[in-house]
Amino acid sequence: MGRIEGPAKVTGEAKYTADVLLPGMIWGKVLRSPLPHAKIVSIDTQEAEQMPGILAVLTAKDLPDLLTGRLVYDMPVLAIDRVRFIGEKVAVVAAEDPDMAEDALASIDVEYEEMPAVFDAHEAMKSEAPLLHPDYRSYAHAPQKFFSDIPNVHSHVTWELGDIDKGFALAKRVFEHTFNTPAVHQGYIEPHASVVAIDPDGRVNVWISNKMPVRARELLADVIEIPEERIVVHLSQIGADFGGKGSLMDAPLCYHLAKRTGRPVKMVMTYTEELMAGNPRHPTSIFLRTGVTEEGQIVARQAKVVFNSGAYAAFKPVPFVNIPGAKDAAGVYGTPHIRIDAYSVYANCVPSGHFRAPGDLQVNFAVESSMDMIAEDLGLDRLEFRKQNFLKDGDWVPGGPQLEEVRVAETLAAAVKASSWNQPKSQPNRGLGLAVSHRLIGTGEANTQLTLKEDGTIQVLTPVPEVGTGAHTILQQIVAETLFLPLDQVRVETASEIFKTDSGSGASRVTYVGGQVVQQAAGELMKLILAAGAKGLGCAENEVVFEGGRVVHSESEGSLSLAEVAKLGGDGKSALRVKKSLNLSEGPPITTFTAQVVELEVDPETGQIRLLDVVTAHDVGTIINPLGHQGQIEGGLLQGVGFGLIEELRMEDGQVSTLNLGDYKLPNIRDIPPLTTVLVEEELGPAPFHGKAIGESSITPTGAAIANAVYDAVGVRFHDLPITAEKVYWALQQHSGGEG
Amino acid sequence: MTHTIRLNVNGKEHTVEVPSRRLLIDCLRYDLGLTGTKEGCSVGVCGACTVLMDGKPISSCLALALFADGKEIVTVEGLAREGRLDRVQQAFIDYGGLQCGICTPGMVVTAKALLDENPDPTVDEIKEWMMGNLCRCTGYYKIIESIQGATALEPGGE
Repeated sequence: MGRIEGPAKVTGEAKYTADVLLPGMIWGKVLRSPLPHAKIVSIDTQEAEQMPGILAVLTAKDLPDLLTGRLVYDMPVLAIDRVRFIGEKVAVVAAEDPDMAEDALASIDVEYEEMPAVFDAHEAMKSEAPLLHPDYRSYAHAPQKFFSDIPNVHSHVTWELGDIDKGFALAKRVFEHTFNTPAVHQGYIEPHASVVAIDPDGRVNVWISNKMPVRARELLADVIEIPEERIVVHLSQIGADFGGKGSLMDAPLCYHLAKRTGRPVKMVMTYTEELMAGNPRHPTSIFLRTGVTEEGQIVARQAKVVFNSGAYAAFKPVPFVNIPGAKDAAGVYGTPHIRIDAYSVYANCVPSGHFRAPGDLQVNFAVESSMDMIAEDLGLDRLEFRKQNFLKDGDWVPGGPQLEEVRVAETLAAAVKASSWNQPKSQPNRGLGLAVSHRLIGTGEANTQLTLKEDGTIQVLTPVPEVGTGAHTILQQIVAETLFLPLDQVRVETASEIFKTDSGSGASRVTYVGGQVVQQAAGELMKLILAAGAKGLGCAENEVVFEGGRVVHSESEGSLSLAEVAKLGGDGKSALRVKKSLNLSEGPPITTFTAQVVELEVDPETGQIRLLDVVTAHDVGTIINPLGHQGQIEGGLLQGVGFGLIEELRMEDGQVSTLNLGDYKLPNIRDIPPLTTVLVEEELGPAPFHGKAIGESSITPTGAAIANAVYDAVGVRFHDLPITAEKVYWALQQHSGGEG
Repeated sequence: MTHTIRLNVNGKEHTVEVPSRRLLIDCLRYDLGLTGTKEGCSVGVCGACTVLMDGKPISSCLALALFADGKEIVTVEGLAREGRLDRVQQAFIDYGGLQCGICTPGMVVTAKALLDENPDPTVDEIKEWMMGNLCRCTGYYKIIESIQGATALEPGGE
């Protein structure tokens, strides 16, 4: 079935933040730093203020001296005394139209005094590196437990299983490999937008492309010093998120401009600003040390994962202010002795944030590449070497539960079977690669309010905006299924103001936590409906049943429709309503596996890679919405292809050089490979009706599968993504040069 | 300097005062309030802003409003007629050709122009025609299925 907001989206009626038009609305634009690290000596805004149509020009001195962030508050709304990356906001202008605002920016005169800068995370960890945030430890919500004495490291998280020294003592062979992946933009087509309008009574209305509106209200309250109760976040459609739309971005500036001018203010980032100062996937380096026995059993895995946070940690939402995917550095292999160290490091680059399966892709590229390298070195078959080491029921995963219902072998077998893995190699320069990953389902808090309306429909209120994943459709289906009602009798609507806290959309959480909360609320609402119905029918509660959309008295066959029950109300007056909150801090012991096989061909003349066939196999539970489920697989897969072959936010000395979507290539419709999806189904999932997560599965192993296939095709091992035609070309030149 | 332009948008005549550098997308979105047309990249790469000018798809983020003087423009708001969706719109819903929906207005407008010109396109023809429209959510597979699916539906809409 199609999604519930489909008609609004195909007709242009669906409203996104940038579509909000208010009477008297004006526009804000920011001036950004051209330097990666500098003291601000002075800012002269006088000329800009005099320009026609300019209504306000603000700098940090006009704002409260406060910092903000998704968890740790380390980022100023406008640079305070110092800039730390090229693209940092220094001043903001409000004008009658965006062109006027843009013109005025050029008239603002900022005097800087350059400071030594550091761009590479490893360089930033050296003792002589300039410190970006000497006061890091004093920042609000900075996680003390993860502080480090290494320069610029703002979070050091360790995951351990067993005893790593003991593990390496058991090993016959020890392998060391290092891999690197670049910054990658989420590539949502809707740039960040914010609108703020202040009512005459002081109430602050906010429209924002943010997937966690309840959290956004809380963060905004802190940074604009207005109580949460005085802020209303109006939910708009979100032109995709992929992890990147969880921050306040320009909303605090819109507020300050609105307050100064008395007018509603809109700010929409250009795509150039998105690429220069969004919150891309972390550039990552992964060092792996692997201990293997003579029989090819992995007994020890040490990993050092270094994430370049950029100039601020403000875009990291998790309590340890680091990247969760690092914990998968042992992959899908049962390894008794593991030690993983993840370092998040400040450097003078664009601040990094979350992007679909944050950290998972980077680490999986390393782990799955190393599996092929180790197998080859040991003279083992790369498929058999994996199978020999796969996770089993009862194994622990770092930072996760003791697993049950492990179905990794079945998943890989299904992928292999659907591919040409077992066929003889057809032609030169063609190769096959495979990679396997897993992802635990997300936890967090979800809320809902269900009301039986007077027209007999069920209103489902959720504070989760629709970011494109089909969350609202899934919630509607779960409620309808639980109440035995047709879909059109269940209406999903958004509301943020009636909920205090909520985790929003992310971490493959919505179907699991959000689904459970609506399912439970629907069950409770049904009890209220039956009680009210029984009262209306003049009988006892245990004498009525819900049948064919009506409350039926079994004996007399007297019945009431839901509309009639609604009119009777709970106690004769009030609506039948259930408000419910569910906070799951611990995930279930069931994870989900993905296995992919890629077949490709390398053109030795140009280095161009052509994907001939991709098989993606998924270990799934009950599929609640097949169309949406498959859409998640396909969309994620192509992002994985982008990560493997095309995408890189290129930076030179902190300056992003791919500053528009012509230079920053996203895969287009001609880049899609022939795709076979295999679903290894079993009704075992932890989500309602035994569903499992899918949103962050297919994106993860693609990069590694491609790298392994390239090696199979032409014998060149890439330790860095993306594997562009240019890189392949030069590597082949060197390769043949070396041999010849 | 401002100019007075006359343009027909979705069958309706409009007379608008615009500065010389006003872009067509801003004229549609802000002067006429037709916010169905979206702005993504602003440099004519992503296709979210696609509208039809005299039946041909163009990037409204690259065209000056002046350029539309005397022209017929069709935006996403003009595809459905009397509440009935165009077959392309219906197929995008039925076949999952949209997720977040931000690229969808440009997609359906471009696909509509394709089917007007070539009622039964092959997959390669669809790819060739649609390559100027980026979608980050779907991976394009269901967009191709949607366009193929639309060819089997009654034209609807107009």
